[in-house]
Amino acid sequence: MLNIGELAPAPSRTTQAAADVVEGLDKSWLWMALAVQDIKLRYRGSILGPFWITVSTAVMVGVMGVLYARLFRAEVAVYLPFLTVGLVVWQFVSTVITEGCSTFLAVQGIIHQVRMPFSLHAYRLVYRNLLVLAHNLAIVPIVLVIFGAPLDWRVITVLPAFLLLAVNAVWVSMLFGMVSARFRDVPPIVMSFLQVAFFVTPIFWSPDLLGVWKPLAELNPLFAAIDVVRAPLLGVAPATYSWLVLVMTTMVGGCASFALFARFRSRIAFWV
Amino acid sequence: MSVEFSIYQGSSRSLKKALLATSTQGNLARDALDRINVRALNGLNLDIENGDRLALIGPNGAGKSTLLKVLAGIYEPTQGRVMASGKVSAILDASVGLNPDATGRENIILRGMYMDIHPREMRAHADEVAEFTDLGHYLDMPVRTYSAGMMIRLAFAITTCIPPEILVMDEWLTAGDAHFLGKAQQRMAEFVRGSSILVLASHSMELLEQWCNRGIFLDQGRVVAMGGIKDVIAAYKRHIDAPHPPARAAAVS
Repeated sequence: MLNIGELAPAPSRTTQAAADVVEGLDKSWLWMALAVQDIKLRYRGSILGPFWITVSTAVMVGVMGVLYARLFRAEVAVYLPFLTVGLVVWQFVSTVITEGCSTFLAVQGIIHQVRMPFSLHAYRLVYRNLLVLAHNLAIVPIVLVIFGAPLDWRVITVLPAFLLLAVNAVWVSMLFGMVSARFRDVPPIVMSFLQVAFFVTPIFWSPDLLGVWKPLAELNPLFAAIDVVRAPLLGVAPATYSWLVLVMTTMVGGCASFALFARFRSRIAFWV
Repeated sequence: MSVEFSIYQGSSRSLKKALLATSTQGNLARDALDRINVRALNGLNLDIENGDRLALIGPNGAGKSTLLKVLAGIYEPTQGRVMASGKVSAILDASVGLNPDATGRENIILRGMYMDIHPREMRAHADEVAEFTDLGHYLDMPVRTYSAGMMIRLAFAITTCIPPEILVMDEWLTAGDAHFLGKAQQRMAEFVRGSSILVLASHSMELLEQWCNRGIFLDQGRVVAMGGIKDVIAAYKRHIDAPHPPARAAAVS
């Protein structure tokens, strides 16, 4: 049976949004398979495949590492691992934010042809970037071994850190995806912001250099995201508020993103 | 049930202009919030029973594709609702989800994924689908070498490999050749005997008369005629022959 017209009211927007999020999670086999296919297609024909990014990161680390260690008057053995992990995590964060603007725009054709939970497109994006991150992480153990990083039990905290990053990646791609679908000048604005953020966030420089301004840099959620992964891998404790900032960002961002999704989910197909 | 589209022009797509307009009470960058709303479907009410084969007839721009998309769950109505007591399978575009560089056989699995069929399950149907398409050794060639007709055969075979409960199809299907259309009709007759619903948009009156039992004639988003297929086709033919003013977009405010 198909009934069309003024019928009993639909379930609330929040319920429908929640159902969408759950339905997307349920179809994990689909977004995982699509993410793997994305990567295969992207690197088809290239010799190194996804390890191409690993190589280019290694080159950047090598060049920047030696130069900036000198500029900051830091020991290369201490600075290089710091820089490597910082860059690898930043690549994940910045790519998720950039690609997150195209979450729905990139799959415009599919949205207009097949009904799918919208959250599925976000999960696909995040999983794809997690796979790229996994390839990039290959360089980290090499650097840590070469420079003899003092690892201890804290290394285990890297796992919940990555989990939290993944959760943040989901709400970021949903939020930015929706806003970019409606307002087409958002992607360039976000890219400009990311370019500035790269320098303002302590990725390739240590916040200790800031002296009195240090807390300001540490409250940056982008720094918190990098710090909770980097600190355990360098055998030090993360900055005082990093975990708190990250958890708060997850909660606030997640709620804001869900609220917007509940309100505008039905409009996304009209916007892309 | 109604569906209203907002047409976003260049300026209303700009976040910067939208923020500027709000902050200056609309005096500056007024165009940022000016939108045209078009009612693509207006006040549609109908019930489709199991076993019905419904034809959607109307001139271009009448709202047929919009209605099909609403039934497929792609657009949510701005007013009213669609309630389906079964899963809706839609073939609106032959090439969606197909990877042009992959072979026909690989694409069967891929297209099945977009239909929510796990690759394991789809592999069980792959031979049957391959046989229905009549594509022979072309199935081992990349899909970008296929003609439009071949893609339609592939898409149709995949979408109907599991009997759909509610099947929604747009007019491109009628581009298939006579032999394929015969097979397609036979397959659909089987589904419908198993109490499936079919909704099909087309400009080919002969095809619709053969395949459908009910019809709905849409013009500019409104229902002009609804009923048995022969009556609706007759109403449509009368409408074409009679002189009428050129269509205006059904603008709202």
